[in-house]
Amino acid sequence: MTKGKCFSKMDNTEKELRICHMYPDLLNLYGDRGNVLSLIRRAELRGIKVRLVPVSIGDDFDEDDFDIVFLGGGQDAEQNVIRRDFVEVKGPKVKEAIENGMVFLCICGGYQMLGKYYQEHDGTKIECLNAIDIYTVGEDVRYIQDTIYEADFLKEDGVSDSSVLYGFENHSGRTYLGPSVKPMAKVIEGAGNNGKDGYEGAIYKNVYCTYSHGSFLPKNPRMTDHLLRIALKRRYGEDYELPVLSTESEDFARAALLKYKEKGNTAP
Amino acid sequence: MASIRFHIAVFSAKCTHLALRLMGRGATTLPGKVAVKIDPKILQKLCKDRDCVTITGTNGKTTTTHMITDIFRNCGYTVVTNVSGANLLSGVTTSMIFGMKDMKKAEKEGKKIICVLETDEAAYGKIACQIMPKVSVVTNLFRDQLDRFGELAHTRELIAKGLDSCEAQILLNSDDSLVSELYKGREGRTVFYGLSEESMHYNNVTYPDKSGVLPASSDAEYCTECKTKYTYTARSFGHLGAFSCEKCGKKRKSPRFFVKYDLSKNPSDEGYELSLLDAGAGKTEKDFEADTANTAGSQGVSGLIEKRVKLPIPGMHNFYNSIAAVSACVCMGEKIGDTEGLSFDKCAAALEHVEAAFGRMEKISIGDKKICVLLVKNPVGLDRALSFVAGASDAEGIYMLLNSNIADGKDVSWIWDVDFESKEFPEKVYVSGDRYGDMMLRIVYSGVDRSRIIAKPMEECAELLDQAISDSTPGKCLYILPNYTSMLALRSILVKRYHLKDFWK
Repeated sequence: MTKGKCFSKMDNTEKELRICHMYPDLLNLYGDRGNVLSLIRRAELRGIKVRLVPVSIGDDFDEDDFDIVFLGGGQDAEQNVIRRDFVEVKGPKVKEAIENGMVFLCICGGYQMLGKYYQEHDGTKIECLNAIDIYTVGEDVRYIQDTIYEADFLKEDGVSDSSVLYGFENHSGRTYLGPSVKPMAKVIEGAGNNGKDGYEGAIYKNVYCTYSHGSFLPKNPRMTDHLLRIALKRRYGEDYELPVLSTESEDFARAALLKYKEKGNTAP
Repeated sequence: MASIRFHIAVFSAKCTHLALRLMGRGATTLPGKVAVKIDPKILQKLCKDRDCVTITGTNGKTTTTHMITDIFRNCGYTVVTNVSGANLLSGVTTSMIFGMKDMKKAEKEGKKIICVLETDEAAYGKIACQIMPKVSVVTNLFRDQLDRFGELAHTRELIAKGLDSCEAQILLNSDDSLVSELYKGREGRTVFYGLSEESMHYNNVTYPDKSGVLPASSDAEYCTECKTKYTYTARSFGHLGAFSCEKCGKKRKSPRFFVKYDLSKNPSDEGYELSLLDAGAGKTEKDFEADTANTAGSQGVSGLIEKRVKLPIPGMHNFYNSIAAVSACVCMGEKIGDTEGLSFDKCAAALEHVEAAFGRMEKISIGDKKICVLLVKNPVGLDRALSFVAGASDAEGIYMLLNSNIADGKDVSWIWDVDFESKEFPEKVYVSGDRYGDMMLRIVYSGVDRSRIIAKPMEECAELLDQAISDSTPGKCLYILPNYTSMLALRSILVKRYHLKDFWK
């Protein structure tokens, strides 16, 4: 039996987590579904019941139905399909949910869409949701690489790498943050938001945004737990304590990744 | 008449080849590169007046190329083809240069010649006008290494550009909404092939799916015309299936060539039987629907030809590869006026003699143990391979290797796009490759107990292979799923440690 399984009988059986997976049929690039799998896994191993609801084009979004919202990135063609639905139809309700403190995790395209606008290479400005004070400018050079960040809010006593986040970025947009938005982390390796200011991602209220694709949450179990914790505290009150759960498998993967990076890789 | 430039280019390519072989290296692309430098139009000259088939798309190219080659050879043709992976301008040119000798010989003997060329989907747009194929097969479009090629819509545009630069008969997969759309503006020269709708798995595509987790990430859920979500009455896998758009009316085209198989049978079984059908030139499956409903075993019913074959390479994705290959050969026969020698019956029958290419489901004996290597390069390939292994009755162990070199794609996050959750894993699980941690975690997150998995870094992959082979029981099979560069490493380990033949040829 794995360590993880030992915790599955913890008295959380009454607890429930409702995940809203926005546009899963369109925004599903670069392994973004791994983030949803992570939320499900680390909740279920704690005995928390998970309800996963897809909300796509034409579906209603009601913040009372959810504890956490996940919004991934997509190919350009797909992002154009959803922009109207997201900005014009769901927009007002999403904004309200954000202001009310709903927990969001937004990756890459989803991150950009929450901002004021996306300026294309030719100067055309595409209006976005304007839910958080950021804007993005598309440029020619694409940042494609493994990344390492440091997020202070994840610091845990006694765990040396608790605040280290591993990621993989793949974006040509450069995002700039306004004064009401904090960066999510400091860049240790990689380009981050714009390749200039040394920061990655954004936090506004309970909205967490990052350019880190794919296996972002699987590789960062403390980030997963952080999101679960604030979502469940919001639902069950500040007294709610997220049960301890082993991170052994995830730490094994993190150590392997670190070793690989230290080795350096220049093979074709 | 060939120019002096041409001869110098060919000569230089041969020298390069010799030098590389003397150094003990594979020489599948560099000679062509040298030749193209000297004579940029060399491929055009090499392919002039030849009967060429090209195969492009994201998945199944190598197997389909291999099948087409074997069918032509079985039907008495001399075939020039390219080595797997050598499918860019340089690789295709290399193969054509070194095929010259065979072609000359065949010409002397009065034998018929065919060139079967696998072409990279991103390179096709540029090289189709040089090859000028008579028949061009597009297999499918699935997300690949997106960090390298950009996006699928872009890849399709490149293929379209290639199709417009030649006059080939176009063979399209009817079940792939991204591919089948390429018929537009090319109606007169397009032929469709696919799976009969009744033989597709009726997947429930609800969300979350049966096992309560997530469906795999899909590439084409929305109509490219009007952005409405497709309705599927049936699916085979991924976004392949019987799709239709309720708003604009776009829907799957009925294929001329199609496969029927018994849904109750396990497509992982070796020697699995299926039916290949040809509705005949200008007709499609739809024209026979009334007939097939009334007549059991519609052999010969008003022109519909059915051929039952035992497929030596199992796996449901090979149904597509098989029918694509047979269609290509039959259509070439029609183009060059050899409908007798390349009849549907003969082409379909020749499939039974096809052998698997290395890394594509070939079972290899090592002493009394067996291994089977399944190369996986992208999400749908991995999905098919895992599904195949889950269904294989002899699967006892699985060994997965994941690298992230440039040729593999630097980003390994695509493993999270694959629906591991619904696949049963064999009892013993081994993991290696530079990204062994990522792969181990992916498997654990799908519900496999951590204690069942042995994960080792790439440096120890050979020892882990030894262990996996020694752990396995005679009669059972160890399935090995490497990605591209880890397969190259594995191949040389198998040659050095297990004295298997050199697969370079």
